[in-house]
Amino acid sequence: MKAKKLAALAASAVMAASLAAPVMADEATSAADDAALSAEDLNVMFETPVESLDPQQATDGTSFEVIADYTDGLMQMDADGKPVPAIAESDEVSDDGLTWTFHLREDAKWSNGTPVTAADFVFAWQRAVDPDIASEYSYMLSDIGQVKNAASIIAGDMDKSELGVTAVDDYTLQVELEAPVSYFESLMYFPTFYPVNEEFYNSVGDTFATSPETTLSNGAFILDSYEPAATEIHLTKNPDYYDADRVKLAGIDYQVIQDSQTALMSYQSGALDMTLVNGDQVDQVKDDPEFSAIAAGYLWYVAPNISAVPELDNLNIRMALTMAINRQDITELVLKDGSKPTYTAVPMDFATGPDGTDFSADQTMFSNVCADDATQAAEFWQKGLDELGISSLELEMVVDADDAPQKVAAVLQQEWQDTLPGLTITLKVEPKKQRVQDMQDGNFQLGLTRWGPDYADPMTYLGMWVTGNSNNYGLWSNADYDSIIEECTTGDLATDAEGRWAKLYDAEKIVMDDAVIFPLYTQSNAQMTKSNVTGVEFHPVALNRVYKDAVKSE
Amino acid sequence: MKKYVLKRIVTAVMTLLVILLVLFILMQLMPGSPFNDEKLNDSQRAALYAKYGLDKPVLVQFVNYVKNMLTGDFGVSYNISKNTPISQLIRTRLPISIGIGGAAVALGAIVGLILGLIAAFHHDTILDTICTIISVIGVSVPSYVFALLLSYQFGFRLGWFPMLFDAKHALDSSVLPSVSLSMFTMATIARFTRSEMLEVLDSEYMLLAESKGMSGAPLIFHHALRNALIPIITVLAPLIVDLMTGSLVVEKIYAIPGVGSLLVNAIQSNDYNVVISLAFIYSAMYIGIMLAVDILYGVIDPRIRLAKEDG
Repeated sequence: MKAKKLAALAASAVMAASLAAPVMADEATSAADDAALSAEDLNVMFETPVESLDPQQATDGTSFEVIADYTDGLMQMDADGKPVPAIAESDEVSDDGLTWTFHLREDAKWSNGTPVTAADFVFAWQRAVDPDIASEYSYMLSDIGQVKNAASIIAGDMDKSELGVTAVDDYTLQVELEAPVSYFESLMYFPTFYPVNEEFYNSVGDTFATSPETTLSNGAFILDSYEPAATEIHLTKNPDYYDADRVKLAGIDYQVIQDSQTALMSYQSGALDMTLVNGDQVDQVKDDPEFSAIAAGYLWYVAPNISAVPELDNLNIRMALTMAINRQDITELVLKDGSKPTYTAVPMDFATGPDGTDFSADQTMFSNVCADDATQAAEFWQKGLDELGISSLELEMVVDADDAPQKVAAVLQQEWQDTLPGLTITLKVEPKKQRVQDMQDGNFQLGLTRWGPDYADPMTYLGMWVTGNSNNYGLWSNADYDSIIEECTTGDLATDAEGRWAKLYDAEKIVMDDAVIFPLYTQSNAQMTKSNVTGVEFHPVALNRVYKDAVKSE
Repeated sequence: MKKYVLKRIVTAVMTLLVILLVLFILMQLMPGSPFNDEKLNDSQRAALYAKYGLDKPVLVQFVNYVKNMLTGDFGVSYNISKNTPISQLIRTRLPISIGIGGAAVALGAIVGLILGLIAAFHHDTILDTICTIISVIGVSVPSYVFALLLSYQFGFRLGWFPMLFDAKHALDSSVLPSVSLSMFTMATIARFTRSEMLEVLDSEYMLLAESKGMSGAPLIFHHALRNALIPIITVLAPLIVDLMTGSLVVEKIYAIPGVGSLLVNAIQSNDYNVVISLAFIYSAMYIGIMLAVDILYGVIDPRIRLAKEDG
């Protein structure tokens, strides 16, 4: 009898405890956070949680956005994505293009009161190339930034103190390069180059940037609610920011919502001011004035494995495949999120040339080799088949197991099979990580893949197809192409902006004429923004959203 | 009794070790690696493998992992929250999941029990039919469908409860997810209670008790319900595991910062340590619940204990 009572007691205690658990959590957090809440907060939806707030470890857009909310680098982005001074008041470059000198403003402070100095940049940049830290974006300093000795340090052949960055005095930073880099200023707003205060870093050790207490701000906002993989992140306006008058928002409240239906309902009920909508929902909202398509920068393309599949080594076959695609249908009937059909190897709207125009504004440049043209495709196809002496061909395409890529692949499969007689396409759907591995290992025939720009220059794309680059999945190789890229990167043209720009078109023409890739579309994100919110800047490169000029009115 | 409990505990620990080894091997078979990103080249991947010791043979990795785990170190996350210790990731999330899951079990068990009793006592009436319909719906509709429906109706249309989980208002915002999760438990318990009660009510000792003049609450609770309880506890244990899997989707729908959503993200990005640790914790919880149920049987019904000790 006693035992039975005990059991019943135990059971009810378990139930009571489990019921009480959320209540206790409720009481513990409410007192601390009430003060931070204000009607002026901007409520923003994130699709994925932050991966890291350590500027030298972060690699994803979500993390970059939050880091940039509370950290300023030497430069910041203006509304058009051009670099304008931030912590650096001014800068100059030597005539040979190899030495940059940045003059830092003296009124920038970290949120613990210490001034932001040149030493903070030296410390951070050395972290970025430190083999012990193994930063995934170390190549921003080596391959892309060409900072002196960066490559050797990353490889472990040199000490990080040899990195070509020096604090001449507290407010003068000097950077030496291996080769001139025309877009070097625009790299300075990329979070990998953001400063870290050494003294503070050492005082928090391994916990750096894992909580508001272990994070320092020198930017427009201060991080005041965050934990690793948090679903809610809060920032409050930084009253000590050197440009505080410019910042109109009282704060930003990020909410991670991975379910698109919940996100849209939250937006419609007023809990969010900004949210992304997915392709299936676009039909519901596309006539809403609050709807907009935001350029995301990503170029989606099909990579043929030219070196491993003999049939794909045939130019006519490749030409037929790229011509047989109806890109217009893919963006308008399948994606419907504002993505733009793309007929160039470098996508639109991220790289502006010396004359102020977009590198890929003219989408008909290569219409003789890349267009939606079923008739020509069939002609190329027949020629190719004749050359190969075959009448039918089976090809397999690897595709990410995500929603949009699978839909696009299904359309490609149908279009190719309908237009090109004798062609059978099979789709191999895999988790993204596996698909990337297969392509990197050369274990594929056709691959549907994408690339997002790392910096605002066509080279972020064109650099991929040089011989031996790890993203040159098809192992295509062309000596002329390699020498143009070389010339534009480290050679004579590196200091001649106009000449370099013209030459980059020559490189792109080689890629397109040889159908090294089949460009599909430049991705857009379908976005809803409340009508009382203005001034949020959207960028396809580096920082997807910037809130320094954002206003949320009553 | 002591010997019986001890034997159970030893078996449970051994089972857990085997599970860990299997998890480790499965992990190696998972397609891709945590570092198959288009932005990473071969030498960068090699550097990351070396940094996290993934370049060592699987067996060495396993031994190291178990060694670290004994000191409470579950490793760090590779990509969903770079370099954050797993223990830190789980610390704040596990209580939230357990809270919501626990509330769902409690709610499901209590409501299910009541529905079952009503159905049994009003056998073959309209009340019985209503209860049966409710439980059929509860068993056959997945919890995430309830989650979406409730979120739409009571969150969006009526605005009674928040659609998103909010740590500052944990109680309000736990209501809809807990109810969504509890439906299956409720329905299953209702069905079992009904059939067990019907069986017990028909039994001879009930007739005897009634003929002795007992009636009403004492009859139901002292004689009928207690005997019906054993099979109900048996079904409740595996239901708790269903709650865990249900929570994977329900947590996503309500944006709950729990372990379920963490596990989904970790699996999608091949974050080995997070997946292993969470799968291990789920297994430990399951085995722990089964252990508790086993011991509870012995307490509730000495016949079971004695039979098991003999065997």
